[in-house]
Amino acid sequence: MPARTTARPAPPRPTPATPIPGLLDHITAHSLDEDYAHVSAQRAAAAEKPVKPGSAALVVMLLFGLLVAIAGIRTAHNAPASQTNHAELVTQVKAQSAKVDALRRQIDGLQGDISSLQGQSAQAAAEGQSLSTQLTRLGVLAGTVPVQGPGVRIVVDDAPDGSAHVKDTDLQLLVNGLWQAGAEAIAINGQGAKTFGTAPERLTSLSAIREAGSAITVNYHRSLSPPYVITAIGNQNQLPARFSNTSGGQAWFDLHAVFGLRFQMTPEESLTLPAAHRLSLHVATTPVTLR
Amino acid sequence: MIAGLGLLIGIVLGLLLQPQVPLWMEPYLPIAVVAALDAVFGALRAFLDGIFDDKVFVVSFVSNVLIAALIVYLGDKLGVGGQLATGVIVVLGIRIFSNVAAIRRHIFHA
Repeated sequence: MPARTTARPAPPRPTPATPIPGLLDHITAHSLDEDYAHVSAQRAAAAEKPVKPGSAALVVMLLFGLLVAIAGIRTAHNAPASQTNHAELVTQVKAQSAKVDALRRQIDGLQGDISSLQGQSAQAAAEGQSLSTQLTRLGVLAGTVPVQGPGVRIVVDDAPDGSAHVKDTDLQLLVNGLWQAGAEAIAINGQGAKTFGTAPERLTSLSAIREAGSAITVNYHRSLSPPYVITAIGNQNQLPARFSNTSGGQAWFDLHAVFGLRFQMTPEESLTLPAAHRLSLHVATTPVTLR
Repeated sequence: MIAGLGLLIGIVLGLLLQPQVPLWMEPYLPIAVVAALDAVFGALRAFLDGIFDDKVFVVSFVSNVLIAALIVYLGDKLGVGGQLATGVIVVLGIRIFSNVAAIRRHIFHA
């Protein structure tokens, strides 16, 4: 009969004889180096006398003192350094933020300056524009700038049979008559004056027409010879009629009728008159009260 | 007596000479001081127990300081220097407190 093996329950594991103490308990229980007890027990077994602390202990304690002193000095050195660093940083931050504030105020002030200067500049530009326009208008009147517009072209010449010549006074009469008739700009040119080019001579308040020898001189330097071409800018419809009413027109009517001088007036749609050559004043100045 | 004399001379020497410590050694000074403190209090307790021994004191002092510094150095290299230093200080601190308690019992017989 086979032996029946009865499954017996395994005996419970025996708990360790020495229970594992807690870590803290262990540390507390073994806080003293066990070597001291060990060496002491050996000495007791060898029947030796317990030793007193000797020179080795002195050296070790000296080393300990040195270590403590060094550590203390290092800590004392570092603490004030970090403190002064902190104070210095605070001072720097304060100084820099004060600087930033000052710069902000400066920016505000400068922006105000900029806007006021921009206003001034715009005003000055407008003034300059108006002054420039005014200067051009005055230049047209004074003859310092070229001028363009409708007007009349008058050609006068000596009598075809050579019995009568155009004199300086005749041209003066003609020009004065044109001014009187409302001409705004007048230029004169002699078609025969080929040696001096063909650009007409603008007549200004400083111009003079006079006879020098056989030739007629304009503006003191330009000698003209017939036929003379006078261009005048003005109302091309009114200018001829009003000219014929002036004394100059009357005189030229007579000159044409009596002496046979050639006189031909044609309206022009567009005339261009050059600027006067020389318009500088050497002696005349404005009175102090007008400046 | 002789140990107190050594301690006094060491502190005075340190304060007078103010030796320059290399920069790499500076982080290990506090932990070395704590380890040395543990060895010193252990020696004092052994002295009061009447089982003091010069050789054991020297060995425990040097090994305490070196091992504490080594653990912290290793921790620094591994990037856990702060945690290891804390662990060392906790263990040494408990040892110091229990040794000081034993010394107190010796002195005041309490």
